[in-house]
Amino acid sequence: MVVDRRLRILSELNKASGRATGTLCEVGAKVTKMSGAGIMLMSGDVPRGSVCTTNEVSALIEELQYALGEGPCVDAYNADRPVLEPDLAHPSEPRWPAFTEPVLEAGALAVFGFPLRVGAVRLGALNFNCDRSGPLTEDQHADALVMADVAAQAVLAMQAGAPPGELAAELEAGADFRYVVHQASGMVAAQLGVTVGVALIRLRAYAFANDRPLNQVAEDVVARRLRFDGHEDRDGRT
Amino acid sequence: MPREALLVRTMVELADTLVDDYDVVDLLTHLADRCVEVLDVSAAGLMLARPGGGDLHVVASSSDAMRVLELFELQAEEGPCPDCYRTGEPVLNEDLATVDGRWPRFAPLALEAGFRSVHALPMRLRGQTIGALNLFRAAEGGLDEADVLAAQALADVATIAILQQRAVVEAKVLNEQLGQALNTRVVIEQAKGVLAERANLDMEQSFTRLRAHARNHNVRLADVAQSVIDGTLPTGSLDPLPPPR
Repeated sequence: MVVDRRLRILSELNKASGRATGTLCEVGAKVTKMSGAGIMLMSGDVPRGSVCTTNEVSALIEELQYALGEGPCVDAYNADRPVLEPDLAHPSEPRWPAFTEPVLEAGALAVFGFPLRVGAVRLGALNFNCDRSGPLTEDQHADALVMADVAAQAVLAMQAGAPPGELAAELEAGADFRYVVHQASGMVAAQLGVTVGVALIRLRAYAFANDRPLNQVAEDVVARRLRFDGHEDRDGRT
Repeated sequence: MPREALLVRTMVELADTLVDDYDVVDLLTHLADRCVEVLDVSAAGLMLARPGGGDLHVVASSSDAMRVLELFELQAEEGPCPDCYRTGEPVLNEDLATVDGRWPRFAPLALEAGFRSVHALPMRLRGQTIGALNLFRAAEGGLDEADVLAAQALADVATIAILQQRAVVEAKVLNEQLGQALNTRVVIEQAKGVLAERANLDMEQSFTRLRAHARNHNVRLADVAQSVIDGTLPTGSLDPLPPPR
């Protein structure tokens, strides 16, 4: 019964202490018996940032999706349905070329994305990862659906308390909205005389070409260890 | 088709509609039409109060006839719907020929329009009444118990449809605010970066300078940030960094 599942999840949330958003992810991983979970907010088809993650693997999964624009959350949000990859090492259809390898290396063998939605409103996606390969059981799948529903409503309820134009403090706490990437985009835009959109593409291209996390590259730019002046190329650290 | 079959078909149709994205006025108009078929009444309408209460307004009617619409109009002041809405209880089988003391303006107008009896069923969920389903009958005789049960079931479906749609609208507004708040933050961070590079400041100094300019000129921080990014506000025109306290 959906009602039973919902009650169990709500009672788990009630028992838990700590940050509201962190609790959502932790309870999510617990009720679905997954190794980790994360909540990604999206708008306009673009990942906007991670609201919470349970551990380093789920943080990496969100980081990669943010940097690469591909992965289970992105697909679940865009397709507006669950996206299941029970065996990331031997996927049934080839997808996520850049995302897959680092996630496998980090120890996640299966990943699952569930859209966060309230009615026709789409907010982002909830992702789960597992250190073993294999499909979700019917129970796990049903719990994940209810958890995504609860999480979507919780995120909106938190934002309902925020002053206009601002992000709710509850959502901001423990979230990673990659502000450093946007600061770096601004700096690179000024360095190259391009728009911030083009600057972000240059940052991404640089990170990809040098096989480094986008966040790290952005931190180097903000700390003025890296300048984009047309000569940064592959190892343009100055 | 016998009434039970008609009722079941209507319920299935409505249940199918409710799981999709639906237009609430279309759904309620359809429901009003079905009431006429299923309940053997001459006209049906749904009257709702705005969220938070107040006068009732007609949102759907099985008939576009002026004489029927006038009857709904008048119920902003008096009639079976406001009585039903106020008490949360059904108003059933009121013989219009004998009630003119209760509704001195409504009853004569309804009689004149050709109706003999009138009914109103509350649209209610968990103690909250949001409006009433209004039924008019031109033929002799009233609604029997089975009619009343069926009418209340249809009113309940309408209530769920409306409350669900209100929740969706609320979610839409909140999600837009969320998206906007996220966007605003991105624009501010980008502007901090642009200014940091141009004026050789760190991120905190950049933010302080942007905020000081916004305050001094009484404009929104997000607008200052956007102008810095698109270059319409050159670094030289920004107010200088305020002295540290």
